[in-house]
Amino acid sequence: MFALLKIEWLKLKRYRAFWWMLAIVMLTYPGINLMMYTLYDTITSGKEMTNMLAKMLLGNPYAFPESWHTVAYFSSYFVMLPSILVIMLIANEYQFRTHRQNVIDGWSRQQFITAKMMGVLTVSIIVTIVYTLVACAFGFASDKMYYYRWSEQLQYIPLFLLQSFAQLSIAFLLGFLIKRAFIALGIFVFYYLVIENIAASYFKYKLHLDIVARLLPFKISDGMIIPPAFVGHWGKDAKQGYDNALSDVPTQIILTIALTAIIWYICYTVQKKRDL
Amino acid sequence: MSVLSLQAISKSYGPIKALNEVSFNVPQGSVFGILGPNGSGKTTLLSIILDILRQDAGSFSWFGQPGSPETRKQIGALLETPNLYHYLSAVDNLQITQAISGRGVPADIDKVIDIVGLTARKKSKFSTYSLGMKQRLAIGAALLGSPQVLVFDEPTNGLDPVGIAEIRELIKNLAKQGKTIIMASHLLDEVEKVCTHVAILKKGTLLTAGQVDEVLANEDIAEVSSSQPDQLRAALEHFPGYTSIKQDGKNIQLYFPVGTAKLEDINRFCFEKGVALNLLVLKKKSLEAKFFELTNE
Repeated sequence: MFALLKIEWLKLKRYRAFWWMLAIVMLTYPGINLMMYTLYDTITSGKEMTNMLAKMLLGNPYAFPESWHTVAYFSSYFVMLPSILVIMLIANEYQFRTHRQNVIDGWSRQQFITAKMMGVLTVSIIVTIVYTLVACAFGFASDKMYYYRWSEQLQYIPLFLLQSFAQLSIAFLLGFLIKRAFIALGIFVFYYLVIENIAASYFKYKLHLDIVARLLPFKISDGMIIPPAFVGHWGKDAKQGYDNALSDVPTQIILTIALTAIIWYICYTVQKKRDL
Repeated sequence: MSVLSLQAISKSYGPIKALNEVSFNVPQGSVFGILGPNGSGKTTLLSIILDILRQDAGSFSWFGQPGSPETRKQIGALLETPNLYHYLSAVDNLQITQAISGRGVPADIDKVIDIVGLTARKKSKFSTYSLGMKQRLAIGAALLGSPQVLVFDEPTNGLDPVGIAEIRELIKNLAKQGKTIIMASHLLDEVEKVCTHVAILKKGTLLTAGQVDEVLANEDIAEVSSSQPDQLRAALEHFPGYTSIKQDGKNIQLYFPVGTAKLEDINRFCFEKGVALNLLVLKKKSLEAKFFELTNE
């Protein structure tokens, strides 16, 4: 297993897109959260009644322990960046026909997929590390009073890792089946940004089938990291919605693991049977 | 012992039968040429034995065992095009080949790059190479760790005449070292110059396979000529044992079953009939002639 990862590293270490992606993730995760924090700071730092009210309702979403949750939620919007990398990683193999050469040189067909799965896992771990650092930084920087609560809600670290791995696995599956980077990327972006959101709204608000909306491929893992706690502070319905979403988290975790397992099972099965 | 043994391999792409029950054995130490026109199934055949394509029926074995990652690690192979990472240098690419195949030690990388003449460009990205250089690097990758068996699909593709001659010499040297080389080509001259064995494919069907000498020499051709071609022709028509007679200007070709043409007998026969010969030679069919004869049927 480690040998496979080492070979993926040989492929990756001089691949510029990998370092670019890393640099962009390093910028966007703190970037989006800084934007949200500034917004929060602006609406809560004044002396007027509305400012006080906002502060009371919002709490401080960037203070420990809510920092783990808030940063995970906003950062997860940017799964598209590492997805581009994951799609490139598999599409490159087709473009250079190295998916054949790796097997000719002595990998089994399954080892090829295992190596790729390790690669996707590694990218997930890297973005999780970036997330952890950012959440930590906000937790320590935003409110000294709550330092002592830093170790609460640490479950968001494994949840962020699982969500990243699950969503990047969907990206991998697209790249693996479609083989062409730009078509796979186009479908991924269009589905992720447009189709799924329309479908989710349609099921949820039009047909009142919230259960179906929650089962859409990205919504399954989105359901593990629900919107930050302050969204539940805006009245009875919001509170009810937040509590429901929170109680669904364990189910969403199980569904995410199941979907991800199915995705990799498909990859292994297709790779085993098809002509390369 | 056979290095590779194929038993009734068949493969279809939809309605097109790419390979039809192809069977042959590749003996150890042979240079085995697989010949055939474009679309005859050469690359499909090599892809199957390298586990890139799945055969619909039949089986094959390497070193007496079913094909597996372990058997492939003992084989250096170049299939169709040079399949290497465009953004990596020659050295980085061969590091990957080495890590996957486990063939050779790190020092061997520079050695094979030197063999294929790319030392000066070993740190340049693969994408900056010419077609010929890419082909050389792919051959270098196959040579890494000096495997006992090499599979080359059109190894001289994209090479200039000097490059072609170099690869031919390389293959001859490898054969001298006792390596088994399986090579697909449509360049008959190439195969005739380096191969000890040959298999000829046409539309997925194996027409013939065996030692080059045997495949080529299924007929003896005695070519004779005289200053009196008409009398010579008339006389030869009564000569016993030939299978067919052809005339090409003044030269007459008599075809005999293999091993039965006796030049002394022909000479004596003609002389006794009052015709003096000014040419008498035993010819072998060129691979090209044999190839066209077989594939045009």
